Amino acid sequence: MKRELSRYALRCFGVAILLGGITAAQDRGGTLTVGLSYDVDTLDPYASGFLTDVQSTFLEPLIYPDENARYQPAMAVEVPTQANRGIRISADGKKMTVTYKLRPNLKWADGEPVTSADIKFTWEAVKNPKYLGSEKDGTDEIEKIDTPDPLTAVISYNQIYAGFKASLFGYGILPKHVLEGKDLNKDPYWEKPFGAGPFKVTEFKRGQYIIVDRNPNYWRGGGLPYLDRIIFKIIPNTNTLVTQLKSGEVQFAYNIPYTLAPSVDNVPGLKVIRAKTLGFRHLTFNHKNEFLADLNVRKAIALAIDRDAINKALGGYLQPTNTFVVSSFDYATKNVPIYKYDPEAAKRLLAKAGYVMGGDGVLTKGGKRLSLKFLSQAGRTEYEISQQVVASQLKAIGIETVIDNKAGAALASSRRNGSYDLWYSGWITPADPIDSYISFYGTKGFNNGSGYSNPKVDKLLNDAVTTFDPLLVKSDLERAQKLVLNDLAALPLFEAPSVIAVTEKLQNFKSNPTNQSNFREPSGWWLKK
Amino acid sequence: MNFGYLMRRALVTIPLLLGVSILLYAVLQLAPGGPADVYADNPGVSAESLANLERELGLDQPVPIQYLRWVGAFARGQWGYSIRTGRAVTIDIAERIGPTLLLGGVAFALALLIAIPLGVFSALRRYSAVDYAFTLLSFLGISMPIFWLALMLQALFAVNLRWLPSAGLETIGDSGFVDRLRHLILPASLLAVANVASWGRFVRSSMLDVLTLDYIRTARAKGLNERLVTYRHALRNALIPVVTVIALDFAGILSGAVITETIFAWPGIGRLFIESMNGRDYPVLMAILMIGSFALVVTNLFTDVLYSLVDPRIRYD
Repeated sequence: MKRELSRYALRCFGVAILLGGITAAQDRGGTLTVGLSYDVDTLDPYASGFLTDVQSTFLEPLIYPDENARYQPAMAVEVPTQANRGIRISADGKKMTVTYKLRPNLKWADGEPVTSADIKFTWEAVKNPKYLGSEKDGTDEIEKIDTPDPLTAVISYNQIYAGFKASLFGYGILPKHVLEGKDLNKDPYWEKPFGAGPFKVTEFKRGQYIIVDRNPNYWRGGGLPYLDRIIFKIIPNTNTLVTQLKSGEVQFAYNIPYTLAPSVDNVPGLKVIRAKTLGFRHLTFNHKNEFLADLNVRKAIALAIDRDAINKALGGYLQPTNTFVVSSFDYATKNVPIYKYDPEAAKRLLAKAGYVMGGDGVLTKGGKRLSLKFLSQAGRTEYEISQQVVASQLKAIGIETVIDNKAGAALASSRRNGSYDLWYSGWITPADPIDSYISFYGTKGFNNGSGYSNPKVDKLLNDAVTTFDPLLVKSDLERAQKLVLNDLAALPLFEAPSVIAVTEKLQNFKSNPTNQSNFREPSGWWLKK
Repeated sequence: MNFGYLMRRALVTIPLLLGVSILLYAVLQLAPGGPADVYADNPGVSAESLANLERELGLDQPVPIQYLRWVGAFARGQWGYSIRTGRAVTIDIAERIGPTLLLGGVAFALALLIAIPLGVFSALRRYSAVDYAFTLLSFLGISMPIFWLALMLQALFAVNLRWLPSAGLETIGDSGFVDRLRHLILPASLLAVANVASWGRFVRSSMLDVLTLDYIRTARAKGLNERLVTYRHALRNALIPVVTVIALDFAGILSGAVITETIFAWPGIGRLFIESMNGRDYPVLMAILMIGSFALVVTNLFTDVLYSLVDPRIRYD
C-alpha cells in the first residue's frame, strides 16, 4: 500500500516537472565553465583512471542511473526487465539473455545512423585482449551478441548476471563506422572523440582544458541540449579551484573538500549543493594482523570510535551510518550490530582479551605492544583529518597507531596487498552495488586486501547477484550486512555527500549519486540569461 | 680550453648517463605499486584485465630485461607510448616543455635581474638599513611556504582586485601576448621569489669576500675610481661561485616547477611528472628524468666553459 502510494506520488511529481518544463521557457545557448580537480589522462572512458565526466557528455549509454540511482532508458527504448521480456532466464536457470531495443532514427554526431551493430562492436572492441583499457568488467560474462535487425541487440550471458546494467555499456556505445579495424589504444579518434551524446569534443589541450560543443544530431530533439558549449578546465589544486569559483573563472565544481566548502558558502552568484551520493567512509581491519584477528580487539576499536567527533572536525557534512549499504538502497538495514561510542566498554573488552596496560600507555599482551600501522590517502585532507581523530581515540584506550599514508599507485598496491593494519578510506559504488560488495568483502574479492573471509557472506552476496527477485536480494543483503558487521570485516562510519558549487544561473541541474558522473545527463541543463 | 678537452668531456657523459639511467630505472621499480594499480580504485576493474594490461606492456618480464628493452629503444629514439594517455611519450613531453620553459625562463631571468644588483648593492652598503631590509626580506622569501604565498597572491589579485587571472596558461580562445603575460605574472613572480632570495644572499656574501681581498685594496690604492673597482675587479671575481649555483638552478628549469605548476594549473613538465609518478607511467617518467639528467650534465659542462670566460686564470687542457 505504502509502495503504491509513493509510486502515485512520484507520478504526480513527474507531471509537475513536465508542466514546469513547459511553462518556464528555457533560455538556449551559453557556455558553462566547469573546474575539474584531476588531470584528465585520456578521453577513453574504458581506459581512464579517473571519473568520466567529460566522456559522459559525448558518449551516450543505452541506459543510465538517474539522480536517484534508478536506471532510465537513453538510447534504448526501455530498461530491460523480466516483466517487459527484456531479460529472459534460460530453462535451466543458469544463463540469461538481455534484449535492447534501440530508438529509431538515432544518429552519431557525424550524422551516421546508430545501429545494434555498434553495440556488438563496443563489446568486441573492449573485450579484445589487445585493447589495454582496464574497465573490461562485464565483457567475459557475454557469450555472444546477436543483431537480428538494426534496432535490436540480443546479448547472451553465460551466467545469471544481475549487475549487467552497471558494467560494459554503462559508459556509452562506441561508433563502429569510425573505429572498426583501428587500434583503440592509440587511435587519434581519442583526441577529438564524438559519440551519440549531447555534446562532442572539439578541443583537448592536455593539462589545460577540454571543450565540448553542442551535437546538433542529438536524439532527444526539442532543441536539446540547451547549452552551446561546456568547457572543462583542469585545475589539479583544490585551493585554486575554490579561488576560481570565487573569482568567477569557473562556474561549476564538484567534490569540493569539506574543509574548503565553508569558504564558498557565501559567494554571490554561487549555489552550494550537498548532493547525496552512493559513497561511504570506512575503517577496514587487516584480519591477517595477529591482534586484529581477534574479534574482541576489532570490537574494542569499533566501540572506541566517536563518529560525531570525526564529523565535527570536518564541519559536519557527513552522515553517520552503521552499515556499508547506503540508505539510497532499499535493502540497507538498520538491523545490524551497532557499535556505539563507549570507550569504557572497549577497555573492558581488551582487558578481558588479556591485554594489560604497559608503562608507556600502550596495551601489551604476551610482551607485544598493541601497535598498528594506519594507512590512508596522503594529501587527501578529509581522510587525514579523520585519521588523526581516530588515532587519538584509539590512543585513549591504549592502542598505538603508526601513520603510514601513501598516494597513487603506492596506495592502491598497499590496500590491495593488505600491507596495512588499519585503513581509513571511502568507496563509491555503481547504482547496482552488489558486485562491488563482493569485491570489498568476498573471500576472493578483487579489492579485499584485508584477508576477511566468511563463506556465508560469499554465498549470500553471490546469491544476490545471480537473481532478479528483489525480495530475495533484500533478504540476502540484510543477512550479509548482519554477518559482515558481526564479524567486523570493516567498520562503516559515514555516508558521504558531495559538495557541489554551481552558478545560480544554471537551471535543471541534477546531480548523479553513482560512481559515474554528474554529467551523465546534461542535455536538459540551461543557463538563465 | 681546447676542442680535444670538450670532446673528451662529451664522451664521458655517455657512460655517465647510462649509469644514471640504470639507477633511475631501479629506483622507479623499487617504488611500491605499478601502472596497473591506478585502475584498481575502480570497483569495475577485474584482476584479469589488469593481468592482461601487464602482459601486453611487458611488465611481467624480469626487470633487467625490461630495462635492456627500454634502453635499447630509448637510444634509438623510440621513447614509446604513455601507459596513461596512450599517446607517444615524445608528444606528451613536447606539449608540456613549452609552457615549462616559458614559466621557468621568465622566472629565471626575473630572478637574475633582481638578485645580482640587489646582492651587489647590499654588499656595498653593508650594515646599512637597505642591507638589513634585504636580509630580512630574503630570509622571509626563503622560509615562506610557496603554496601559502601563492594562495595569498591569488586571493588578492584574482578574487579581491580582479586584476589578474588566478590560474591557467591562457584565456580559452585568446592566446595573445597580453593575455599570456597576464597569466604569467603571478606564477613567474612567485617562482622568482625564492631564487631572488637565495641568489641575492649568495651574491652578497661572495661580493663581501672579494671586497676584503688585497688586490681590491691595491686597486683602490693605485687610484682607480670606485665604480671600476667594484664592477671590473670585484664583481667579476665574485661571480665565479655564483655562476655555479645559478647554472645548477638553470638545469632545473627543464624539470619543471611542481608546486607552482600545480597551484597555477600551468600545463608544464612538473605536473606531467607528478601525474606520471602517481600512475607509475614508466616510459614518461624515464623520459622526463633522462631529459633532466641530460640537462644537468650539459649545464655542468657549459658552466666549466663559462668559468674560463669569467676568469681567464682557469684553463682546461
